[in-house]
Amino acid sequence: MSLLKRIDELSGSSKVRKAWFSFACAIFLVVIVIPSIFVVTNLVTDWDLVSMVAQDEAIRSTIIGAVANSFSIALIVTVIDILVGLPMAWIMVRKDFSGKKWLDTLLDMPLAFPTAVLGISVVMFWVAPEGVNIPGLGLNLSPYMLLVLLHILFTYPYMVRSLSAILEQIDPNYETAAMTLGASRWTAVRTITIPLFRAGLATGFILCFARSLSETGGTYIALSMMDVKSSFFTGPSFISWLKDTEPGGGALMYSSDEMMGAQILISVVMIVLALILLIVVRRLIARFHFPMDKVWPELGRKVSRGALPKAKDFVTIAFLIVVVLLPAFYIFMYLAEPASDIDYGGLLGSIGISFLVAGVAVVVDILIGIPMAMYIARHKGQKLGQLLDSVVNVPLIIPTTALGVSLALFWGSLGLDSTFALLLVILGHISFTYPLVVRNLVGAIEEVDPAYEEVAMTLGAKPFQAFRKVLFPIVKSAVIAGGILAFTRSLGETGATLAISPTMNTVPVYITNLVNQHAYSEAAMCSIVLILICFVIIFGLRMITNRRSRRNA
Amino acid sequence: MPEIVLDQLCKSFDGHVAADSLSLRIADGEYVCILGPTGAGKTTCMRMVCGLTRPDSGRVYLDGRDVTDDSVDSRNATMLSQTYALFPHLNVYDNVMFAPRIKGWPEDNSRQIVRSMLHMVHLEQKADWKPDELSGGQQQRIALARALASGSKVLLLDEPLRALDARLRINLRKELRSLAKEMRLTCIHVTHDQDEALEMADKIAVIRKGRIIQFGTPRDVFENPATPFVANFVGRSNTLVGKVVSSGDETVVEMPSGARISARGSDLQAGSDAVVTVKTGFTKLVRASDDQVQGAFLEGTVERVLYEGVTITVEVRVDGIGLISAGLPNRKYDDYSAGDRVGISWIPSKASVFRMPPEGLEEEMRLD
Repeated sequence: MSLLKRIDELSGSSKVRKAWFSFACAIFLVVIVIPSIFVVTNLVTDWDLVSMVAQDEAIRSTIIGAVANSFSIALIVTVIDILVGLPMAWIMVRKDFSGKKWLDTLLDMPLAFPTAVLGISVVMFWVAPEGVNIPGLGLNLSPYMLLVLLHILFTYPYMVRSLSAILEQIDPNYETAAMTLGASRWTAVRTITIPLFRAGLATGFILCFARSLSETGGTYIALSMMDVKSSFFTGPSFISWLKDTEPGGGALMYSSDEMMGAQILISVVMIVLALILLIVVRRLIARFHFPMDKVWPELGRKVSRGALPKAKDFVTIAFLIVVVLLPAFYIFMYLAEPASDIDYGGLLGSIGISFLVAGVAVVVDILIGIPMAMYIARHKGQKLGQLLDSVVNVPLIIPTTALGVSLALFWGSLGLDSTFALLLVILGHISFTYPLVVRNLVGAIEEVDPAYEEVAMTLGAKPFQAFRKVLFPIVKSAVIAGGILAFTRSLGETGATLAISPTMNTVPVYITNLVNQHAYSEAAMCSIVLILICFVIIFGLRMITNRRSRRNA
Repeated sequence: MPEIVLDQLCKSFDGHVAADSLSLRIADGEYVCILGPTGAGKTTCMRMVCGLTRPDSGRVYLDGRDVTDDSVDSRNATMLSQTYALFPHLNVYDNVMFAPRIKGWPEDNSRQIVRSMLHMVHLEQKADWKPDELSGGQQQRIALARALASGSKVLLLDEPLRALDARLRINLRKELRSLAKEMRLTCIHVTHDQDEALEMADKIAVIRKGRIIQFGTPRDVFENPATPFVANFVGRSNTLVGKVVSSGDETVVEMPSGARISARGSDLQAGSDAVVTVKTGFTKLVRASDDQVQGAFLEGTVERVLYEGVTITVEVRVDGIGLISAGLPNRKYDDYSAGDRVGISWIPSKASVFRMPPEGLEEEMRLD
């Protein structure tokens, strides 16, 4: 209590407030931004290693192929997400039907699954590879096709969420007005509503693209289950493969110098391309004009009536079930199998590490994210506010594996080596979860009328009192939502963890190792245990916060 | 009870001037309305009093003490926001209890204060309700109770009635003012609604482009506007432009059409350009069939008659000048119809006369 009072008193001084904000900025720069892109400087300091690798014909073509795969898969996946996500967002926002709440929850579920688990589940469902007893569809899919199907699983919910968020803001009256002016529903949507979507499309596009580009755990597991991990690469899977000491792993094929050079080269290429893409997409979507002048009233009318709109809804739901939900939940088929021996000690140990990492990361995210989010939300019109607003996104767009490589090199250069592995992994997880927390908070704080805090202060509250007694309670649910998002994201992350320290046994790493040893049923059982624990925590948190807000009511 | 003194305040935001050496002295217990068009600097002026906005230069004194560098919470000047800003996570009771708790007053004492404030705004029975369960008028009252419970004697009201229905708004005017008087508060009430200002204020400060252009009683501001802008902004006026023929106890101005009109006394130079303003309510009409038509300043044809309830407005087209409006009691509604010839007159002392503003009349009258 006395500590809070002391902070209350201190917060009255504008110098103290500035110092606190500067501190949060400094932490953000030193702990998050600079380490994330530090690897670019290694291009200079380790030029001999990089040039050696770049001159090696085989490695060079592998790297180019891997990067090309990563970007083309991300593009295809994102386009599919948009095409199928738009009608889904429509259903979620504009339609009312029984069971909508269920659908809403189901949509988010793949986000709570670690991607490594999704990798196993998807391969089981579509391919049914050797060593897996559960019968799948047994299709003979190329690794490329399979990765597209896999990446849709964990990007699709993001797309639907960002499109829904925008659609909720768009007043249906615009559409109604267009229709009373003589447009058919299809024409009204195409010429009025979709163009208003631009911002949501940009966000959704960047989120999905970045997520697909980044994903390591599920991709690597899928590739190794299909037995192509050493012949088919994406950018992140290549880095994982380089560190893989299991049979068929790259660690056995290359010298440590070659490994280091190859890691730096591919990380820099991925980071630079991703950042360029971020800028280009922002520019392009702002400039892109939907064809408005041409209208086809006949076609519009035909498309708006009869069976077509219903068919569209049907296809959308069918896609959700067949491509997203069934493959995601397919792993639960293992529950029907006779229980295999799980090394519960090892699993619990890695769950402990995962929760420690995710928990600490989320707490730090919230502590240093709040002042940042408040500044960004309240200074949108100013240069520094806008700059911070875009820089916060940087760790989000950088592939996490590259980010991990970069981070390890940065802290390594400062003398923090593998004995500090736990600390480094936590720092890495802070980097890529921080934007999620800040984004959520900025959105929530922007919605809060500044008058609340101002009135509180004229009633005698010091700035920190105004924050903790007024602003924080109002945005609390957004803090928790951001926290849950960051927590599950951290829990599911494989690539960054592996890139920072191959020995840090978080759950996804533990599962990946089991898969590498072809211990599929153990891997599946571990996955199921992990999923259940995740759900219990998420539902628990939601229950607690719901009950609190209901008690206040 | 505190006196509020603003001394030469200047403030600009990115080149937009919100306060331009603004000075104002508000006496103990006075209810002052700051009236001005959108963007004139009303809200900035109020925010500088409570400390939410820091002036670029100039000083703010509360009760004789220079508070320019004091923080918001220490000033004891409470704001009532136009959105009420009732904290959504707290119920009515806890909202009103906010300031006593923050200030750490003894619990028993605080409870008593909160109860008496809720009693005063007639909402004791809603103590457990959440703000979003209250009607707009109730929210407004709770916001007021919350402000009063803070014990501050300076109340700053930022368009406090704006979000309410027209009818409720008019009822609450009296209530708000009498509460403020009962609690012996010094109030600054920001509004762009001239009727509200005329009805509620002890004094009105008309603000434009960051400057106070007139500060006086409602009657003073209405009947003796300091500039053509004030004449036009507070109450509806007819504006006429011509050349001064003679001045002194009465000013005679010749219209371009040759007609001569009279206004109150002035020292304007004969031959100079002048602006005459007459409130529509002071504008009288004389039927052309009557003998008195010779005494009228202008003659014209009735274009239309608007029925407004208690009053009517008769719009008369005068050749070479344009439309002149006269506000009359509604019992005269049947006396006029479109096409009638009428004469227009007024008591000269009720018409204001100004020197033509150097930047032109149009610029002077602009509302932004």
